Amino acid sequence: MARFHKHDVARLQLLTAVGIFLRGLDHSSVITLAGAASGILDTLVKRAGKEPFVDYARRVHCELVGYTPKRKSYSHHIDKKLGVIAHKHLSKDDPDTVELDLEKQAVDALSRALSDYVSLNGQDEPFVKAFFSWVWENTDGPALMEKFKIAPDRMKPK
Amino acid sequence: MTLKSYSRFELAENQLETAIGLFVSGGDRFSVISLAGAADVILSRLVINHEQKNFTELSLKCELERGGANETREAHGKCMNDALFINQIKHMDDDDDGFIDLEPEECALGAILKALVNYVILAGQQKDIVLAFKAWVRLNLDSKKYNINCDPNWKPHAK
Repeated sequence: MARFHKHDVARLQLLTAVGIFLRGLDHSSVITLAGAASGILDTLVKRAGKEPFVDYARRVHCELVGYTPKRKSYSHHIDKKLGVIAHKHLSKDDPDTVELDLEKQAVDALSRALSDYVSLNGQDEPFVKAFFSWVWENTDGPALMEKFKIAPDRMKPK
Repeated sequence: MTLKSYSRFELAENQLETAIGLFVSGGDRFSVISLAGAADVILSRLVINHEQKNFTELSLKCELERGGANETREAHGKCMNDALFINQIKHMDDDDDGFIDLEPEECALGAILKALVNYVILAGQQKDIVLAFKAWVRLNLDSKKYNINCDPNWKPHAK
């Protein structure tokens, strides 16, 4: 029997998810692994006294819509939007098929998990840099940064 | 946006295939557990929807025949998932110290085998991932500890 800390369990799953994504393999697996890593990292970021992704998203929601959604329900909403729920849950009355944008959801699920991972560990590890480079090249990074620069500070991560 | 329609079976099959690929190539065991565990949730429900008994129900039946406690399917399923650490490696409670003690190799193998039983009920024995994994099992596992030839009368060797 060996002892592991969940931080390392999350890191290994995230590292695997990035590897699968960058090799152009199964996006469903990327979504599940990034989702599993997020389920752990969220608590660790909170414990480190930093702002987890879900709380940042709730803050942005408040700015845009006028109220702060409950943490648990908004976290579930994000999991649903990212396709995480569809990949790990099936109820009796769910339809046999589901509409998904797997590549976009894989990118977004990795971005959420890496946001929390970077809060804890910085962004110097090769797998983190590799994914951010992919995003920079494939989602028009410079244009995204211009939009980010002009956003008010209250809409930016702490 | 490229929204496409996917069958639930397809989502589970792809995850199980990735889990098996990672396992046999020496990849991360925690990722194997998460992927096989996620695939199994979908496959278990699909087996029930096809009005057949899934792995959890088959295991529960065996337990009862051996004189075990009469649990619900949900309780028995949770017990098996807890033994394989399927929930522990995707979740952390606020009061969790963060440490887990497990044998990653055994849990990864167990998670694949559990999902594979449900997959075979739905898709049959002749699919590539089933044949490949069974071949790996025959080549790599100890026949004294594991029933590598799927013999219904097999018993583990006493230690």
